[in-house]
Amino acid sequence: MDGLLQEYLPIIILLGLAIGLGVILLLAAFVLAVRSPDAEKVSAYECGFAAFDDARMKFDVRFYLVAILFIIFDLEIAFLFPWAVAFKDISFLGFWSMMAFLTVLTVGFAYEWKKGALEWQ
Amino acid sequence: MNGSSYNIFNSSNYFGWSETQGVLEVIQILLPEIVLAVFSMIVLLGAVYSRKNKTTSIVFWGTATTFLLVSIFIIFRGAAVYTAFGGAFIDDLFSRYLKVLILLSAAIILMLSQDFLKRNNLFKFEYPILMTLSVVGMMMMVSAGDLMSLYMGLELQSLSLYVLASFSRDSVRSTEAGLKYFVLGALSSGMLLYGSSLIYGYSGSTVFSEIFITASANEKSLGFVFGLVFITIGMAFKVSAVPFHMWTPDVYEGAPTPVTAFLATAPKVAAMGLFARVVHDAFGGAFNDWSQILILLSVLSMLFGSIAAIGQKDIKRLMAYSSISHMGFALMGLTSGGLEGVQSMLIYMAIYVMMNIGTFAFIISMEVDGKPVSEINSLQMYSKTNPGRSMALLILMFSLAGIPPLLGFFGKFYVLKAAITSELYLLATAGVIASVIGAFYYLRIIYYIYFGENPRALDQTHSLFNQTVLVISALAMVLGVVNLFGLEFVSEIAANALVN
Amino acid sequence: MEVLVLFSPLVGALFCGFGWRFLGESLACWVATSLLFLSAVLSWILFLKFDGNTQNIAILRWIESGTLSTNWAIRFDRLTAIMFIVITTVSSLVHLYSFGYMEHDENFGETESYKPRFFAYLSFFTFTMLALVSANNLVQMFFGWEGVGVASYLLIGFYFKKPSANAAAIKAFVVNRVGDFGFLLGIFGLYLLVDSINLNEIFQAIPEIANTKLTFLWREWNAANLIAILLFIGAMGKSAQLFLHVWLPDAMEGPTPVSALIHAATMVTAGVFLVCRMSPLMEYAPLAKNLIVYVGAATAFFAATVGLVQNDIKRVIAYSTCSQLGYMFVAAGLGAYSVAMFHLLTHAFFKAMLFLGAGSVIHAMHHEQDMRFYGGLRKKIPYTFWAMMIGTLAITGVGIPLTHFGFAGFFSKDAIIESAYGAGSNLSFWVLIIAAGFTSFYSWRLMFMTFFGKSRSNPETYSHARESPITMLIPLGILALGATFSGIVFLAPFFGDHQKVNQFFGISGPESHATLSNSTNHVTKIEGKVHNSSNEQAHYTIDSKGSKGIDVRHGQSTLGKGGLFFRNDNHVIENAHHVPKWVKISPFISMVLGFSLAWVFYIRDPELPRRLSVQQKYIYRFLLNKWYFDELYEFVFVRGVKALGKLLWVRGDGNMIDGTINGIALGIIPLFTRLASRVQSGFIFHYAFGMIIGILVIISWFAISGGSS
Repeated sequence: MDGLLQEYLPIIILLGLAIGLGVILLLAAFVLAVRSPDAEKVSAYECGFAAFDDARMKFDVRFYLVAILFIIFDLEIAFLFPWAVAFKDISFLGFWSMMAFLTVLTVGFAYEWKKGALEWQ
Repeated sequence: MNGSSYNIFNSSNYFGWSETQGVLEVIQILLPEIVLAVFSMIVLLGAVYSRKNKTTSIVFWGTATTFLLVSIFIIFRGAAVYTAFGGAFIDDLFSRYLKVLILLSAAIILMLSQDFLKRNNLFKFEYPILMTLSVVGMMMMVSAGDLMSLYMGLELQSLSLYVLASFSRDSVRSTEAGLKYFVLGALSSGMLLYGSSLIYGYSGSTVFSEIFITASANEKSLGFVFGLVFITIGMAFKVSAVPFHMWTPDVYEGAPTPVTAFLATAPKVAAMGLFARVVHDAFGGAFNDWSQILILLSVLSMLFGSIAAIGQKDIKRLMAYSSISHMGFALMGLTSGGLEGVQSMLIYMAIYVMMNIGTFAFIISMEVDGKPVSEINSLQMYSKTNPGRSMALLILMFSLAGIPPLLGFFGKFYVLKAAITSELYLLATAGVIASVIGAFYYLRIIYYIYFGENPRALDQTHSLFNQTVLVISALAMVLGVVNLFGLEFVSEIAANALVN
Repeated sequence: MEVLVLFSPLVGALFCGFGWRFLGESLACWVATSLLFLSAVLSWILFLKFDGNTQNIAILRWIESGTLSTNWAIRFDRLTAIMFIVITTVSSLVHLYSFGYMEHDENFGETESYKPRFFAYLSFFTFTMLALVSANNLVQMFFGWEGVGVASYLLIGFYFKKPSANAAAIKAFVVNRVGDFGFLLGIFGLYLLVDSINLNEIFQAIPEIANTKLTFLWREWNAANLIAILLFIGAMGKSAQLFLHVWLPDAMEGPTPVSALIHAATMVTAGVFLVCRMSPLMEYAPLAKNLIVYVGAATAFFAATVGLVQNDIKRVIAYSTCSQLGYMFVAAGLGAYSVAMFHLLTHAFFKAMLFLGAGSVIHAMHHEQDMRFYGGLRKKIPYTFWAMMIGTLAITGVGIPLTHFGFAGFFSKDAIIESAYGAGSNLSFWVLIIAAGFTSFYSWRLMFMTFFGKSRSNPETYSHARESPITMLIPLGILALGATFSGIVFLAPFFGDHQKVNQFFGISGPESHATLSNSTNHVTKIEGKVHNSSNEQAHYTIDSKGSKGIDVRHGQSTLGKGGLFFRNDNHVIENAHHVPKWVKISPFISMVLGFSLAWVFYIRDPELPRRLSVQQKYIYRFLLNKWYFDELYEFVFVRGVKALGKLLWVRGDGNMIDGTINGIALGIIPLFTRLASRVQSGFIFHYAFGMIIGILVIISWFAISGGSS
């Protein structure tokens, strides 16, 4: 039981540090910052939209394209991290699997680029 | 494993591939899938960077040819059983039977689509590529030997289909269909995943052979059974079994007709194959559990499909209900269990695909003044203007209704026989009643064609290929009586591969 | 060759029935006819070359279902050979005859084509009849049995525009069904007991069957007796025996060639054939044999009495047929199977000829069938007259008693009567003697009313009466030869001493020796008893003795070897040869009496019959109305069945079944359909909701039931 708890010690330390750092930063801003509030500054920020408004409005579909692209490559990174960590243990096949995965993503990206999905105007 | 057994990234232990199989061997086993996947990517890049109109046509033909070649390659693989990724991928006769069926039907439907797509400004190279990806997914599905590969195949297939369903971007109906399909599909995927996690939790593995051991235990925990239920439901959605069929009519109606044709054939085969694979390989020991669900699904599908189809005025919607009903029959075969059950299901699916390809070859070509139509009304008195096609359609409708001596009858016959052998008398009775009710709406189409009142002028612009497919399919319904094109034998060895 | 005989009529029927549009009418008919002649010639060759050994010729695998395994095969033995020649000869002649008879039929319009249909039916009938007699298993025989039924139905109802013809066709079919049911039960019974339907295997198993008990209709029966009776019920239907005879007179609605072929020479004899074919079974079923004798004798008597007063020329002959069939059954029931077959053979010739002659008369008289409007036709149609004369001489059995000289009927009918006496069946003997007298009376009555005296028809018809065309006369001539000589020629093999009969029918050697040596012992014994006039009992004591012991063992080796089977203690034919002289003369006397009476009634004093009919009104009415059988059946069966049928039709079919179906089809299903389309609202949340409900139901089910465990 103790052993198990001991394994979690680093997490508690990390947690403590995170909380501590957050509090310090907030307090620092509170103490040090120059305050000149206006309407734009105090309103909540939400991806460039008015935060409290009718949700059923038209907006540019390109936002989604960017969002989707972001998610794809975000996930790619999410896969790459554990792969990199376990790189020593996985075989040749593991390596090539990731290469294949990256290639597939690249092909998709190339297609998208050519199709003009990345051009805003 | 030193307390790190949950570390699935320590994959040398988990999959065990590093010890047994090298990269080349794996590639060899997965060659058909890899070929198709690589093909799709090369074509994607090639086509997008070529910017010539001609390429689209080449892509269509190329894709169809590739399908054909791959299926021939699969046929010549013989009877050997290969497994890759530590049992996550199984390449046996059962999967090969289904793969060939999927590839051939996909190739034919791809060719059938051309004419329609051209005339409706949808002739884009993405279409065959999406189809290819979807086919890869299906091939993955029928070869799945692990809950993860199952899910992967399923999603690859589904995602491509979602896009295909909304392929006609400017049409509200098409996008609506795609969206509906996507949302409901996501729901069902969620169910499937939930079920998978339960199964994994209770059996400690995602490999079918491991799950089988837990499933065969006398005492199964309720959680395990719940997992089974959820997985079954996820797959029932894919075969559109009642009550998870709701998407079918709307998507069939909204999607461009060639896509509907595709939806009605290859994915159904794949999903049915997956169904069979999962219930036998993974849950073979829990027969009494899943057969209860399947009986319910089967009865509801057969009856609901038949009854609801009666009110339809749109032939694509009608075909949707028809396919629901047919899936009910195929499920009946599966429910019967054992070699005979699986065999009857395989025969049924093959015949079902043949009939549907023929019927859709006609529906795809239905046009008035260059605009595609799908009202049944527009078929009135069609026999006057075109007796040949009417006759072919008549045969197909009779076959769909299961009237002897056409091929469709034999499909039903085998399924019913399997049900009777397994003493599922009530189920068989329900099947017969459903097929009687179902005969009504098929006959109604024939009624319109031959005895309708207001002749409508359907365009005579059927492409040669579509006509040929229609006629060949109708002929097959008649000629198949002789020995079912050897289906009985082939399906038997395929079923044997799965059951034993 | 056997195969060719069997199938060439079928080919003819198909060619003629389906191909006449391409071949043309007359060519199609000639194709059918010539194929039949081919068949006839071949069967004569087969008959003459046949050595008596039973052959089984497999043609194709037919039924494979569990233990029921059988080929379509021809069993060719003497019995089949005889039937082959009878069927093909008469049929080919009838085909030929039909060219003349069916030339201009007023039942059909000018433009309607009916001849190829007629010929096709005839050929088809011939095929099925041949299939019946050549069957080597019971199901195949049943196929032929039903096939001739169908053909008979089609041909009786050939004039489908006449309601009476349709009614007669249906009646024939329905009455036959009653018999067929018995036949079917018999087949089922045999299959149950033997586990096979092949005749060979059945015959082998018969001694065993004879020792088996079977429960049927709430009581135990001896299996052999029960099955023999069931089969005989089938035979009764087909051969128009008493109680199931009612269809035969009505069947005369069909064209006359049909009557000649089906209702005189071939189909109606199928019952006799069946009894002879199953002779091994019959030999072990004394009860059934008694029944056959009684029913046969009753029929012979009954039909002869009715025949006395009928006025329709064809009906007279029809009742005569019925009566003669009764004779055959008496012979078969007594165990004198060969004698039955003998009479079958001769009867086929003379009765076919009588019918064809009658057809010729009818043809000449413009389809008038009532004899009261005939008379004096002798001069008008001389050939027909002479043919009919020969036929009448044959049927009445004219010959010189105690010698071997006479017409066909003389031998065969007398043989039956002698057998009856020989078997010690006094009752049947006397009944048959009386019936022979009646036969003579009505036959001569027919002759006198038709050909002698003054014409009673309207003068125009009479003056137009012409001799029939050559195609109709040739068959008459050939049949006349048969009617004259078939008796003399075939007497020995059918009714000679045991040796000859055995050899002819291929009954194997050892048994015939045994029979011979045995018989000498028995003959004296029986003869002694005959004179003691307690003969009937004697006969049965022997029978019952036989079934117990030695015979069973002995029979197994030879059962089913030849065409017929006689048990060791069956000495009917032997005894028939040793009957007293007065017995041999008695049928002749009876015949002469009948003839003289007819002469008195219709030549010397034509007013006498009318006076007598007025005087004996009740008897006359009784006979004229055929003993009121039709009325009785109408009252007992037909009305009840009709009422039941109507009830089932109106209430059961109309209200219940149609009502239910319509209710479901028009009420409930559309309701469901509407519901289904309402569920399909198009809203995605409804769909998701539906899925969730489905999941909930299934999950709750498993939560409550706990799945399989």
